[in-house]
Formats: sequence, structure tokens, C-alpha cells
Amino acid sequence: MLHNAVSFYIKMTMKKTSPPKKKSASRSHASKSTEKKKSPVFPFTAIVGQDEMKLCLLLNVIDPRIGGVLVMGHRGTGKSTTVRALADVLPMIERAEGDIYNRPLSEIPKEELHTRKAEHIPVPVVDLPLGATEDRVCGTIDIEKALTSGVKAFEPGLLAQANRGFLYIDEVNLLDDHLVDVLLDVAASGVNVVEREGISIRHPARFVLVGSGNPEEGELRPQLLDRFGLHARITTINKIQDRVEIVKRRREFDLNPEAFLEAWKPEQDALRERVVKAQSLVPKVTMPDEVLMKVATLCMRLGIDGHRGELTITRAASAYAAFEGRLEVTLSDVRAIAVPALRHRLRRDPLETIDAGEKVERELQAILKVEETV
Amino acid sequence: MLSFTDILGLDLAKKALLLAAVDVSLGGVLIPATVGSGKSTLARAFAHILPEGTPFVELPLNITEDRLLGGLDLEVALATGKRVIEKGLLAKAHGGVLYVDSFNLLDSVSEAYLIDALSRGKVLIERDGVSDVHEARFILVGTYNPAEGEVRMGLLDRIGLIVPFTPNSDEKFRAEVVRRVHFQTHDSDADDDKLLQGLILQAREILPRVEIRDEEVSGLVQTALSLGVEGNRADVFAVKAALASAALAGRLDVDEEDLKLAARLVLLPRATRIPESEETKKEPKPPEAPQPAESESQSDSPDNNNENNHEQTPDQIEELLLDAVESELPENLMNLAASAKRRSKSGSRGEALNYRHGRYVRSEQGSLRKGKLALVPTIIQAAPFQRVRKKTNRRNHSAIIITKDDIRIKRFRDKAGTLFIFIVDASGSMALNRMQQAKGAVTKLLQEAYVHRDQVALIAFRGKQAEELLPPSQSVDRAKRALDVLPTGGGTPLASAMLLGLETAKQMKSKGITQTMLVFITDGRGNVALSQSNTDASDKQKIATEIAALAQSINREGLNSVVIDTQTGYLSRGEAKRLAEQLGGRYIYLPNAKAEQIAAAVKSS
Repeated sequence: MLHNAVSFYIKMTMKKTSPPKKKSASRSHASKSTEKKKSPVFPFTAIVGQDEMKLCLLLNVIDPRIGGVLVMGHRGTGKSTTVRALADVLPMIERAEGDIYNRPLSEIPKEELHTRKAEHIPVPVVDLPLGATEDRVCGTIDIEKALTSGVKAFEPGLLAQANRGFLYIDEVNLLDDHLVDVLLDVAASGVNVVEREGISIRHPARFVLVGSGNPEEGELRPQLLDRFGLHARITTINKIQDRVEIVKRRREFDLNPEAFLEAWKPEQDALRERVVKAQSLVPKVTMPDEVLMKVATLCMRLGIDGHRGELTITRAASAYAAFEGRLEVTLSDVRAIAVPALRHRLRRDPLETIDAGEKVERELQAILKVEETV
Repeated sequence: MLSFTDILGLDLAKKALLLAAVDVSLGGVLIPATVGSGKSTLARAFAHILPEGTPFVELPLNITEDRLLGGLDLEVALATGKRVIEKGLLAKAHGGVLYVDSFNLLDSVSEAYLIDALSRGKVLIERDGVSDVHEARFILVGTYNPAEGEVRMGLLDRIGLIVPFTPNSDEKFRAEVVRRVHFQTHDSDADDDKLLQGLILQAREILPRVEIRDEEVSGLVQTALSLGVEGNRADVFAVKAALASAALAGRLDVDEEDLKLAARLVLLPRATRIPESEETKKEPKPPEAPQPAESESQSDSPDNNNENNHEQTPDQIEELLLDAVESELPENLMNLAASAKRRSKSGSRGEALNYRHGRYVRSEQGSLRKGKLALVPTIIQAAPFQRVRKKTNRRNHSAIIITKDDIRIKRFRDKAGTLFIFIVDASGSMALNRMQQAKGAVTKLLQEAYVHRDQVALIAFRGKQAEELLPPSQSVDRAKRALDVLPTGGGTPLASAMLLGLETAKQMKSKGITQTMLVFITDGRGNVALSQSNTDASDKQKIATEIAALAQSINREGLNSVVIDTQTGYLSRGEAKRLAEQLGGRYIYLPNAKAEQIAAAVKSS
């Protein structure tokens, strides 16, 4: 299982290098983090509508095993705004102090454990920009260290930074093919292996993959599509009141971001607390056999290959129940998450006229109806 | 050089530029205009009315990724051995103007970088072993000639102001332009520029204090809805444009003119439909507009009541705005329909990266057996190591010591893949069947389009003329949406369809699609002439001549063709076969063919 504490090791084939303990805060990184603090981000809870996308993201925070979210939809509907807003409602995680791979103490090799303390950091959200090159995604040689100390050390890339956090790719359908290959590899194994420039390294890279894009700008590679646990679709909001509200909130935020953030702080805090609580409940959530059978029936009737459909529904429904503060999954929990869990897993039929989501919904209705009459 | 105020015409474009200068968060201005209308002169003149020292960066179409986003600084690397990113054009334009001429010809990946920079206001760099962030808030000014194809919608969404396209042809106007440009009769007045500079600075200062009433916001939003504007970002831009317009006029309140300008520059160019007539529109409104709270707060502020337009309800404002854009609407809708057709640059999928040919966009680590050496990137890569290598390698006296790991090879981007244009006979009794077959084949081909990077278009013909149901695309989603409408029955305008197919192919050729295959699914019996004269039986000869001529043109254009005859045997009279011969293409007889069979036949052709 991806989430189990597998002990990873770091092997340096070079001289007597110890794994880098503290990130030698290179200029560029320092400037980046201050940068991020400087520009305020629109609060997650102030985003109007787009509930499916928001729910999918939150469920992945509650249980990262769900396997990520793909958000596809019209331009201008707030896809990237919402994903970038997520960071602020994420809980804290414990990691070994300054660990470049965000590993918890339990994953640190014994021989260096005595030097390490624990610290708390927010769940990392790493942005993978379209123009990223492979060396920055996977990591490469730390040139400054090489020059100052003559030691070839590993400079971790985005995959290391994203370990135990979120990796976000906007315009994921435009991502260069060879980067997609790298991502598929790492997402499947949870390990990033770098063999280059005289360095050989393996490090954990388990992250929740979040992608967004506009389906009209090109299709996603089927293998990549399959990687995403949930698939949310979003559309333009057409209620006048909601649209006016969007405009007003945006304007308020633009005029005085600090005041806006302050006003929304209680909501943000409440959501974060709710997520943290749900996280603690998830391991205790159970799913009755009847519900499980229904899930299996649903997947069978939809002709879904493999078991990823059932597994995703089970995890997502459990997370949803936990989010609602309950310890047992009901059919209504399944209902709440079935469409995004299955939408991208249906076999493609060239002559199909109805949307995949509708199809899932229809089968779901049919199964629930059987339930009522029995 | 002509100053901003000297340039004749393009009034709306000028207004738009001024608004963008007042509120940089509007994202910029897109100006469609014909050749020689002074659009690029205007863009350059725009830089001069901005405050002193505002950067003006021009983005060339053939830019490489590292020049656009930023790349390793060679000088610093050689001198100090440090990796420092030299700013790319996006970052260099920070605080100023980024100008792109022939905006519609920008490749889709560069477009994606632009969108990203516009949405973040900065450039994230994760390249060449360096991680960095550069500020990149700029006013994007794009000009283009719509005759050369439209701009991708993704970008339109991020650029707040889009000037409606109006080809100017007034004689007097033309003469005056020549007088001014060629004979320089008009003294360039630098003072005018100074004046505008002052206006912009003042407007920027009061902008945060400009007020817009809730009813006015609702009015803009309702107008957007009535015009079928997609996405919710346009609403925000419309409000911003109205505010900027008021600020430019030195007012602290938005008035009617501001709203109209916002509607014309933001909503009109994004309209996808003509709003319903007044009567039908009014009906469903009442239950939707319960705003007692808002009107209460209205009456609280006394100074709002002294002017007439301040009492307008959202519905009235909507009416006003729709009236304002009404006359221009059909023209722009047509443009949009055309743009939807030409919006063929569907993502990077149509432009494959490879190691051999195309436009050099980036370098990557690799062996020389795999590709061509990218000399500069290789040297840049080796640069930081020079001091160490020289120290440890005293016997090597090369100016630069390069090792295997430094080698960078070139990656090219090329439009690749084949364009399949399905031309389907939707007339007569077998039409529905043929359309289903074509639809299935199209979707099938699209699903496999990844590997070959192919694109598919579909033209149906029936009644008076042919219609492009699916513009060249790789998106299964779009194909499905477009093909859900299956009009059938009526006459058989084969010639019209051939012409449309030929035009589509030519258009795509200018965009780099070099391989095109026309797939005709028909019995080859056209009975509607291209020229709109009375089409009676005597026109048969004319129709045949048209078809023959068009077939020859298609053949001469170097386009591959295949004619699939799905007619059952006893009806077939050999027309389809003759068409294939005229086209210099293959003839396939597939009665009652399945979609898969057609797809397979097309692929093997």
C-alpha cells in the first residue's frame, strides 16, 4: 500500500556524503518562499460554487490514498484559483527538521536519527509549471556545493518537495510527454530514482496529483487520466446572484486583501479544523457489506475494468463520511462521490451521446431504486 | 514616429489601451485589424503615453523557451560558477507592456506560458537546475489580422479587453492617413503624450476609490448571461473596465458610458448568442430578482438619487447595454463562429516535439547519437564547473572543458500528424446512416490521435451548401459535442463541400499541417451548383464541370483523397468511382460499412 511507512533509503555512490540534513537555503529558494508569502491568495472558503471540485480536493486532504483530482472545465471558472487556495486550509504535518524530502522521523534511517528533531510544517503544495525541465522536476547535482566543497551532492527537485503533499499541474493536458512519463513512473511507485551526472539516489515521492485543464485544448493521455483518483468537471456558473457575488468578493479582495483574508479567517479556520478531525476519523470508518455490494454492483453494471473504481469509491466515501463526522459509510456517502470517482473510468463508446457523469448518475439511481423497493 | 494621439482611427482600440494602462489587472488588450491599419504603430506609440521608464518588450514569434521564461546566465556562470537565471522576456516586461504582433500565429505552448504568467502575475522557473520566481505583471498588447486565423480562446479569456473588429474603409479617412503618415502634414505633438501620461497617472490614483453600484454590477452580469458569455472571469473584467473608464474620466462614480464601454470591450467580443427578444426575456425575470436588501441600502445614501440613471434597475441597465452592443453583435458573432471554426490549434498535441526538424524550442540532456548538438546550452551547462575542472585537470588546456554530462541536444517543435477531413453526404435517404458511420469513424480516429498526433474535421453537405460540423480538432469532447447535431436530408451540394474541404486544408497548411487526407463518404452524385443561380435540370452539366474543376484543384494542392462509397450495389452508378479518379485518390466500396471499417480503411489509405 502506498501509504504504509515503507522505509526508503538514500544511497550516495559518491565519496563520503551524508544525506543533506538542512537545505542549504540557496538564494533562489529563499526568495521564492518570501515571494509566496508576499502575494495574498484568495481564500478557499470564499470561492462561490464549484462544490464538486472543492469536495474532491478536500477528500484528498483527508485521505491522500484517494489518488488525486483531475479538474477539467471551461476557462474562467476558477480551477487554478481554487487549487491554489487549498494550501491555506491544509493541516500541519510532522517531519524531521529541515528534511528535504519532508520525511517523518519514522522514515529517517536509524544511523542519523539521533541528530534529528521533529518540526511541523503545512502540507506542502508544489506547483509544477509547464516549462519545467526534467532536472528540476526530479532533482540534480547541487552545483554550489560541488564548487565550494568539491562534493557532489543531490539538489532535490519538485518531486522531493511534493513528498507527502500536493503536486499541482495547471494545463496538465499540455504537459510535455517526457515529463508525463516521469510523473506516471513516480506516481505508480512512490519513489523517485535519479541516476545522472555521477549521482545515484532514491527518495520517497508520494504526493497527491492535482491537474487541471480545459478539455477543448486537447485530450489527456489515457494512462495519465487513469492515475487520477477523482475527476471533477466544472462549468460556468449561471445564477445571477452567484455571479454578482463572485464579482463583489473578487473586488473586495483586490481592493484590500488583508482585510478580506481577516474577514474570512473564521471560515478558513473552521474548515481546517473539520478536515483535521476527519483525518483522525478516517482510520475508524467502516463500510457495511451491503453498501460494499452495492458499490461492486454499480461498477459491474457500468462495465468498469479492474478494481480501481471500487477502491476509489470506498476510500472517497469513507473520507466523505469522516468529513460529515460519521464512522459508518452509508449509501448517501457513496452517492455524493460516485460521479467524480467513476466518470473517467467508463469505457469510451464512440457513439455514446450522454455524458459519462450522467451515465454514472443513472446507474446509481437505478441501484438506489432497487434498494428502496426491497 | 507618430504619437499616440496622431494615429487616426482605431478609437476604440485607443480607449481600450488607456483602460488597460489605468488598471493593469485587466490583463491587456487584443486588437484585431486588417493589414496596414496602423495597429502595430499604435501599440508602439502606446509605450510613450505610459509613465517614463515603462518597459516595452516585443515578443517575437519564433522565441525559444529559455528566452521567454528565462535561462541560465552564461556570464555569471563562467565568472563565478554560480547558476543564476537571466530574466526571460515575460519577466523583462514586468511593470510595462508586452507586445505580440501576429498574436494568432503564436504557437500553443508559448500561449500556455503567456496564460500562466497572466494568471499568476509572475513566472515560475524550474529550469536548468535552478528554481526561481520572477515578477511578471504586464499589459499584454496583442495585434493580429483576423484574416490569418483567430486566437485561441484560452488566451482570450485572460485578456480583459478585446476590441471589436471593424474593417475601416472610408475614403476620406484613408486619404487622411496617407497625408499624415507619408507627407507628415500633421505635426507630431509630444505634449499630447504628456497629457495622456498625466491622465493615466491620475486615474490610477483614484481608481481604488471609484464606486460601482450593486445594480450596475448585476446589470453587467445579466448582460453577460444574455449574450451567452462563457466563464465567470468576463464579469470581473467588465466591472474593472467600467471602473477604469470612470477613473479615466476623473469621476468617482460609474456612469452609463462607462458601462457601455465595458460591454463593448469585454462582453460583446465574447458573446456566443443573440439575446432573446424583450418580451420573452422579461417573463422569467421577476422571480429571479428579489433584491430588497440592495434597494434599501440604495435609499440610505441620499446623494445617489439626484441623477436619473442612478435609479436604474439591473434589468434596465441590461436593456441599455444590449441596445448599445446590438448593432455590432451580428458581425462579432460571425467572427466568433469563424474563429470557432479556425480555432484549430488544439493544444500542443498538434505540434510534436522531436529531435530532427521544426522550430528549435529547447535543449535537453542527451547523447549526440540521439540529436543535434545545442552548442550554447552545452557551454552554459559546462560553465559553472570550469574552475573546478581546470583545477583538477591541469593538463587539459582547452578553453572550456566539456564532459558527457554537459551535452545538450536540441528539441524541435513541429506541427505533426495528418489532418483527416471527413466530407459526408448528409442528403437523401441514406444520410442518417452515413452520418452515424462518419461520426463513429471520427471518434475512433480521434481516440488514436495521440500516437500519430492526428486531427480530424468533419464537413457535412445537404440542402444548399456544405457546413463544417467539426473544425480540425483532436478533442474527443469537442467532436462529440459538434457531432450531436446531425442535420440530414435535402439536396446534394457536393461542390460546395469540396470547396470547403479545400479551404480548410489550405488554412491548416498555413499552420503547419502538411499532410491532409480528404475522406469523402458519398455516392458522388452532386445536384446543387456552387454558384447560386437557378438550379434546375439544365445545370447538370455545370455541376459536373464544377466538381471536375474542384477535384483537379484538390489534386493539384497535393491533398490525398479517398472516396468511400457506402451505397448498396444496385443503386451505384459509378459517380463515386469517377470522383475518386478525378481527385487522383482511392475508391473504396464499402456498403453498410461499420465505423471501425471506415476508420481502418482511412488509416490504411
